[in-house]
Amino acid sequence: MFKTGVWGYAGIHARVRAKYSYLITSQEWAELIGAADFTALIGLLRRSVYGPYLMQLDEGVLTPRRAVYQIEKQMADTFTIIVRSTPRSARPLLTKFFLNFEVHNLKAALRGIQARASWDQVQTVLFPLGPISTLPAQAMVESGSVSSAVELLRGTPYYNTLSYAMERYTAEQSLFPLEVALDLNYWSEIWNDLNRLPRQDREPALRTVGSLLDVNNLMWAIRYKIYYHLSEEELINYTLPFGYRLRDADIRAVAAGNDIAGVILRIYPNLPDISALLLDPRKGLPELEIQLLRHVMEQCRKAFIGYPFHIGIPLAYLVLKKMEIQALTALIEAKSSRSPVEEFEAYLPLESTRK
Amino acid sequence: MFYPQEMSQVQLIIPARDLMAVTRKLADQGVFHQIDGSQLAVEPVKIPRPHKPWPEVAAVYATLERRILGIIQTLAIEQDLSRPPQGTGIVELDQVQPLVEQIDQQVKQVREQVGEEQKQLDELQSLYHQLEPLADRDLDLATLRAPGYIYSILGTIPNVHLDRLRTSLERIPFVFETLHQDEETAIVWLSALKRDREILDRAARSAYLNPLALPEAYSGTSSEVVHELGNKMEEIRQQMAEQGEILVGIREERGQQLQTLLGQVRSSRILTEAMGRFGRFRYTYLISGWVPTNRVAEFEKQLKGVSKNILVESLSIQRAHLHESVPVILRNARLFRPFQTLVTTYGQPRYEEMDPTFLMAVSFPLLFGAMFGDIGHGLLLALLGALLGSGRVRALRSMANFGWIITYCGVFSIVFGFLYGNIFGFENLLKPLFIRPMNSILESMILAIGVGIVLLSVGYLIFIINALMSREWGRVLFDHHGVAGLFLYWSLVGLAVEVATQHFPIPLIVLGIIALVSGLLLAFSEALNRLVEGHRPLVEGDLPSYAAASFFELFEVLIGLLSNSISYVRVAAFAIAHAGLSAVVFILATLISPSHGFGYWIVVVLGNLFIIGFEGMIVGIQSMRLEFYELFSKFFKGGGMHYEPLTLQPKVQE
Repeated sequence: MFKTGVWGYAGIHARVRAKYSYLITSQEWAELIGAADFTALIGLLRRSVYGPYLMQLDEGVLTPRRAVYQIEKQMADTFTIIVRSTPRSARPLLTKFFLNFEVHNLKAALRGIQARASWDQVQTVLFPLGPISTLPAQAMVESGSVSSAVELLRGTPYYNTLSYAMERYTAEQSLFPLEVALDLNYWSEIWNDLNRLPRQDREPALRTVGSLLDVNNLMWAIRYKIYYHLSEEELINYTLPFGYRLRDADIRAVAAGNDIAGVILRIYPNLPDISALLLDPRKGLPELEIQLLRHVMEQCRKAFIGYPFHIGIPLAYLVLKKMEIQALTALIEAKSSRSPVEEFEAYLPLESTRK
Repeated sequence: MFYPQEMSQVQLIIPARDLMAVTRKLADQGVFHQIDGSQLAVEPVKIPRPHKPWPEVAAVYATLERRILGIIQTLAIEQDLSRPPQGTGIVELDQVQPLVEQIDQQVKQVREQVGEEQKQLDELQSLYHQLEPLADRDLDLATLRAPGYIYSILGTIPNVHLDRLRTSLERIPFVFETLHQDEETAIVWLSALKRDREILDRAARSAYLNPLALPEAYSGTSSEVVHELGNKMEEIRQQMAEQGEILVGIREERGQQLQTLLGQVRSSRILTEAMGRFGRFRYTYLISGWVPTNRVAEFEKQLKGVSKNILVESLSIQRAHLHESVPVILRNARLFRPFQTLVTTYGQPRYEEMDPTFLMAVSFPLLFGAMFGDIGHGLLLALLGALLGSGRVRALRSMANFGWIITYCGVFSIVFGFLYGNIFGFENLLKPLFIRPMNSILESMILAIGVGIVLLSVGYLIFIINALMSREWGRVLFDHHGVAGLFLYWSLVGLAVEVATQHFPIPLIVLGIIALVSGLLLAFSEALNRLVEGHRPLVEGDLPSYAAASFFELFEVLIGLLSNSISYVRVAAFAIAHAGLSAVVFILATLISPSHGFGYWIVVVLGNLFIIGFEGMIVGIQSMRLEFYELFSKFFKGGGMHYEPLTLQPKVQE
């Protein structure tokens, strides 16, 4: 009886609220973006919640990649704390959401094999998931071939998905079908978990994770259409027929070559005119994606307003945290390659006006 | 018994003509541990053609041996190497190679055919599994392959993509039929007009539909093809069985011959490898190695029997000083030998080092018995151990040594069972000869610490004796486990007893002075050690750092002394836990059957079995920990060389 509602979420709500207050503020972002170089950026980050993790390593060995790794470690630890104090009924969805990083790791391992990279090279780009991960990443990379690596996944949730897609990989020698299969499978399972939630949890969860699913699904469809020129039937098969505000009809409209801007505005009526962005897709699509992610962030912030005892609070925090990590990674890379601020600032997934 | 067997270093110089006979004799005696002397030759020897150097010859025999082993494995012949070959022990390659070649060819032909058939069978099985779900459908495969006006695809697809595939085809006229579906996948048949072929292909591919390979060689309906595939597979299985019969025939015909060949080739390999390690001169060979000192006279006599002009030099090695390269033979009474396995698990004792098997054989069962004191449980353990040790259970023969260790532990459990008055957990049937741990918790703990102090002191004493034997005077006096360490330990124990009881025979002030002096000696042990050994400078690095390091080292020693002694409290704790667990079993049994009926006794029996298995295992691990970590770490270095004599007899696994 105390599994959900006030009893279930009181503790986690307090904990997440505390952590929420440590998310990087807009003023701090401005300072970070304005940092002179990578060293100055790390100096600023040492004063943030990531400080203890960055200080585990001496400055001499703190390369940009190591810095990202340490920052990701902070998120992994935060997740462990959050999931441990969440009610049992909500844990599968939270864990599944976090395992998005495992899907990334799996793709990175497969790309490493394809590129004949060594384990030392591959492990630097993996997210530090810790014991939650079932992926035999090192053995996979050291197996030397994609088919052997997939065989090593027997017994994990990824084996069936990849084994069906292996026939196409063997014929085409491209990782594209494997990666698409992994994404479709991952988000379908998230959707199923969302629908299995108790009623009072479902709506707030849909508003946060469902919104993120909408962005991913819509961006896949637009990219397949504009960049890859895939056919209608391929585009439909490589996307998902569900979402929070996105409908299958929207995907089919994009697939059929209808007005993409019209579709986007139907779903996100508050967005400014995005027709101009679609005129130059190479520059415009990343900007469009950032605008859509900002919408997701707004939805996540809204989760913290009103009745607070539901799964939306931890989920919204994790989504915001994930985007913060994403932005920090991009910023570290930009600073280490000494890119001018105006070249990268627009591509950071940051809210336009931060509270 | 306390030290490894005394060894003698032996050097032999033999005329080249006696090479074979001497080598064979060395191997037959089985006491000679060889050292590689091939680098001892003072001048390079030109080997006359067509002779090859011995290591190369040995490599050829090794290859031949592997080949014979391969054949033996294919024919499933059990190896029998109990009869060493006659003569020099080295068989001519010309004599065996053609024979091995002939048998190998015979076996290879059958093996290849079986491999080919297995491949065919795998392919058919794959087809069969694909088409089997369609066995109840009368689909004409010929029509599916060449469908006329329509284009169709038959294939398997993950269930999750089924609806999406249908949706993706909505812009063309199509027929979509699910022929079979299980939990994960479905077999579907898709068809559309030929003009829409590309769309159909793209849709199928992007929905991860894997087309089924329709076998060209088979025609008819799917049920007919499945039936035909089944028949074909059965036919191949029969052929494979026939090939198996042929292999059985070869085994019966050639089995004995292969055993003999393997014996000959293996002994040839061992002897030629040994000869490869001899130092070679123009007319003589130099052989170096180790022989147990008490076997040297007989060893020399035997060799002189086969080579009149042999020169034998032997030097018995004393234990003083360090001897890393002397092979070690442990000498222990038969009774204690099972514990030798436990000791060598920790490390092989060195030549100059005391063999702790005796100490282990006494202290291990003692600690086990003290923690697991119960007449009934001990008796069952002793019987189980005796059964394992006797080797009557064929599958568990390799555990014979372990069995005897269990028996000793069981016997000590019985002894302590009488002391505690405990039988199968019943504490009221017998009067304890000593104490009941559950009723005398404090006394039990003090006694356990007392036993620990005695055992640790023995550890210190053995360390001092070992250091004396290797004449490391600095370590004798100033090492943490040497005289200074022992005095510090004893004085601290004395201080603790005096503070607790006020009845220690030595005054507090004397104990305090001994503790202070020995503590200071330990703190500066490194410098003092260097002083005694004559090394300079006494202190490496700057003095303040050295002083700080010395202080912390002393602090660590003190913590270690405390924790090592307190660690033995677990002996009492487990003795109490044993009684506690038994009490729990009786409470559960009474809950199940308050009238002490059938259910009561079932729970008592199962509970006792659980205690023997579960607690017995934990107590065994704890005893091992006390031995290895608390006791052995005081004096045992290990790292000795294993004694591996040259012999043609295969090694018997203990």
